[in-house]
Amino acid sequence: MSDRVAIVGVAQTRFSPKRADANVAELAYEVIEKVLNDTGLSIEKDIDNTISCSHDIWDGQTISNIGITDVAGGHLRTEEKMAMDGSTAAYYGAVGILSGEYECTLLLAHTKMSQTNRHIVNNDAFEPIYSRQLGLDFTSAGALQARRFMHAHGLSREDFARVVMKNLGNAMANPLACRFGYYGLDDVLSAPMEADPLTAMDAAPDVDGAVAMIVASESKAKKITDTPVWIQGLGSCYDDYFLGDRDLAECMALEKAAAQAYKMAGISNPVKDLDLIELSDEFSYQELLWLEGLGVCKPGEGARLTESGFTSREGELPVNPSGGVLSGVPANVMGLNRVAEAALQLMGKAGERQVKDAKRAVAQGHTGFCGQHQCVIVLGNQ
Amino acid sequence: MNQKNTVTEQICVPMTVDVPYRFAAGKYMARFLTELRDNGRFVGVKCPSCNRVQMPPRVVCAACHVKNDEWVELSSEGTMVGFTIMYLPLTDPTTGKPHEPPFVYGSVRLDGSDSTVEHMVNVEPDLDKIWVGMRMKVVLRDREERIGDLSDIIHFEPLPGQKRPQ
Amino acid sequence: MKRNVAIIGGGQTYHAARRHDVDQGEMVNEAVRAALKDARMTMDDIDAVFLGNMEFFEGTHLTDCWLAGSAGAYGKPGMKITTGGTVGATIIGAGMHHVAAGLFDKVLCIGFEKQEEGDTGAILSGVAHPLYGRSMAGAAVGYFAMMGTSYMAAWGAKEEHAAMVAVKARQNARKNQYAHLKLDITIEDALNSRMLAYPVRMLDMCPASNGACVVILGDEKTARDRCKKPVWIRAMDTAHNEQFEIDWRNVTLTKPIFSTACAARMYKRLGVDDPKKYFDVFEIYEPATWAEMVWYEDLGLCSRGEGFKLMEEGATAIDGPIPVNPSGGVLSTNCIGASAMLRVWEAALQIRGDAGGHQVPKEVNRALATAYGGTNWTVMTALSSSTED
Repeated sequence: MSDRVAIVGVAQTRFSPKRADANVAELAYEVIEKVLNDTGLSIEKDIDNTISCSHDIWDGQTISNIGITDVAGGHLRTEEKMAMDGSTAAYYGAVGILSGEYECTLLLAHTKMSQTNRHIVNNDAFEPIYSRQLGLDFTSAGALQARRFMHAHGLSREDFARVVMKNLGNAMANPLACRFGYYGLDDVLSAPMEADPLTAMDAAPDVDGAVAMIVASESKAKKITDTPVWIQGLGSCYDDYFLGDRDLAECMALEKAAAQAYKMAGISNPVKDLDLIELSDEFSYQELLWLEGLGVCKPGEGARLTESGFTSREGELPVNPSGGVLSGVPANVMGLNRVAEAALQLMGKAGERQVKDAKRAVAQGHTGFCGQHQCVIVLGNQ
Repeated sequence: MNQKNTVTEQICVPMTVDVPYRFAAGKYMARFLTELRDNGRFVGVKCPSCNRVQMPPRVVCAACHVKNDEWVELSSEGTMVGFTIMYLPLTDPTTGKPHEPPFVYGSVRLDGSDSTVEHMVNVEPDLDKIWVGMRMKVVLRDREERIGDLSDIIHFEPLPGQKRPQ
Repeated sequence: MKRNVAIIGGGQTYHAARRHDVDQGEMVNEAVRAALKDARMTMDDIDAVFLGNMEFFEGTHLTDCWLAGSAGAYGKPGMKITTGGTVGATIIGAGMHHVAAGLFDKVLCIGFEKQEEGDTGAILSGVAHPLYGRSMAGAAVGYFAMMGTSYMAAWGAKEEHAAMVAVKARQNARKNQYAHLKLDITIEDALNSRMLAYPVRMLDMCPASNGACVVILGDEKTARDRCKKPVWIRAMDTAHNEQFEIDWRNVTLTKPIFSTACAARMYKRLGVDDPKKYFDVFEIYEPATWAEMVWYEDLGLCSRGEGFKLMEEGATAIDGPIPVNPSGGVLSTNCIGASAMLRVWEAALQIRGDAGGHQVPKEVNRALATAYGGTNWTVMTALSSSTED
């Protein structure tokens, strides 16, 4: 890349099960106001465009970016809504700046899961003729993927439970987290079963929250902050739609997305070149599967990395030092939260959850059930 | 496979997609709705930068990108800025029932507000009896029947004694 | 922008009220294949796929994932953006940004809607704030009815002027093989059509169409190497209006609104003094007759309050000095998620000289396309046969 793009500011709400006090616009404005204050930027003078991320069906409003137009600086200005996971907002924000069209972009992801029913919303992502009637949702589809993954590599529920234990333990140091604690294997294994092999603790909880971020061109970024985090690599890819068309123990789309992002960032050996990973562990098993897709380990070997402490916050390659999505991050917001957490680490602003000497990180987000669309972003502070 | 037996029938699967919601009104709209329910009055917010009065109240003035925090009471009377006679039985998604046509649907600027509010108008659907510029007043349900949503407004009706401008 | 971006191919389905013969994916695939054929490419040539439609209009969440196969996105990078009726143009913008940034050289942009599979009227009522205005929502018809009463009261226009727009659109559509409403109607027919919401009659409104449009974009090298008549995207801009102030309807307002603000920025960027001279043809997003006349004014094709006179003079006819919507426009075909893309694609066809029966008789080098959606939003796209202007 001739010109570079940097993340110059991040603001996040605390994630909580229900924000009955605020509507979507007010929730969004909490983080927009904060990120503008933190960076000293104004919408009028500095922000060229806004990219928001949510879905009509979650928001309960047709063309739901109408609901945040005012607070996101959309009036008489440019705002576009990614109807995907929040990671794609960061991806598209970076592309807009690389194109030369914009210099400074406000990114926003917001969702109030509490205002509707996750099962029904997710079931509507199954097409209406062939699969919706089965009543599948992301948890039950995820459970099919988890079983297939277990079968392919001889993994156990304990292997997944150790991911939960690590991430919820990491979340103890994250003041924004909704779910946290030091749990034992039995706590996870004996939690209420949602869809075998996934218990309630293997699945991300329903929460409300929002994340805002500002990305800027190199020249603009250097005027705004001393700790810019550079977006060094971008990748995305669609997988096949029908569950029956995929081997769910594999993640071709993530491999391809990671390959694009690594190529752009000049990463040849992710384990050596990366200092931390923030990935979307919407379900515990996904952390292990996505580690394969990200090229961190061979198929089936992610469990060993967790068990040995390789991916702990103090380990060789920390994965989800924030506590990840399992600690409670809303649907749609989770990918932008991954990018935000990785950026905070590279800024050295991750507080108690800070990983030492972090210079390069990767953030991963996915859209749809079983990772149908994958997005990978490589970040660095050098 | 015998191509003659290829299925050519067109199949359409009927389905009602029903998603339940519980919307938080938020700080600004909650105050608007409680004022309407408890005191039968309309309140708006005034932008500290451009001074325009916005109804419904909202957290930010979209034109100035500043937080609204000054509350103002609005009149229950205003001026019709646009109207239509509806001939379509549009469904009210909050009740699932249609509004019975024909009815007049008006856009009224309450005195003291820079915004307009859209609602039913209690006037015959007759172009001689309704015009842009007509003075209107709001009719609310009785206090004990008000529940704190927009259905607390029954309709607008014209102030008496007006003549259509020629 | 860092690299020039051209439209190097495109295609559309025929548009109709009923397409029970295909599902959403099959319909999209028709347009994908038409566009690839037009560009003389196969899916293997395409680097990335961008898709937009009206989210959840057809009752399915994450349509991009569902349609990954039929859209050609399987195994490729891509994304879905939704911005309402503007989305077809927004998606072209997304493709343009990716090509301009140097990420990809050839991208495929898709807009589609299968309106028959949902209840568009009810869903559009959901545009209103859930706690303010939704129970009263008059859908698009009520909104444009208010615009009509406001327009007549302010400028002295008559229902006949709206009828002239209705006739122009459907007569132009008769020359467009893909259009939905190809009606041989007269002004009397329009004035006698069923009243929906005074003064808006059946023939004043767009239909609910099913259809898809696909545009393929390329960088300058690809365009020059592989495309006989590349059409260059010279500028794009997006502007919204705020949530609760539905300003477009109050036609006498003098403060900047989405349409005038967006046009002003576009014209400044391109150095346009007189848009009716600068652009040779316009494809605008007019969901209702009254909106077309207001667009004339907002785009600066005439003075405020004179849009209906432009219509009356026939200036915007297909063979007039300022042709507007020779394709028949949204009034003749509205597959919402595709409509804004169709405006851009139809404008590109005019520049290529490939519009067939509805090609305007004069030489076309520059065109302006507008999109419309949400609570009054627009995306504008300026196209040219040259990279020099």
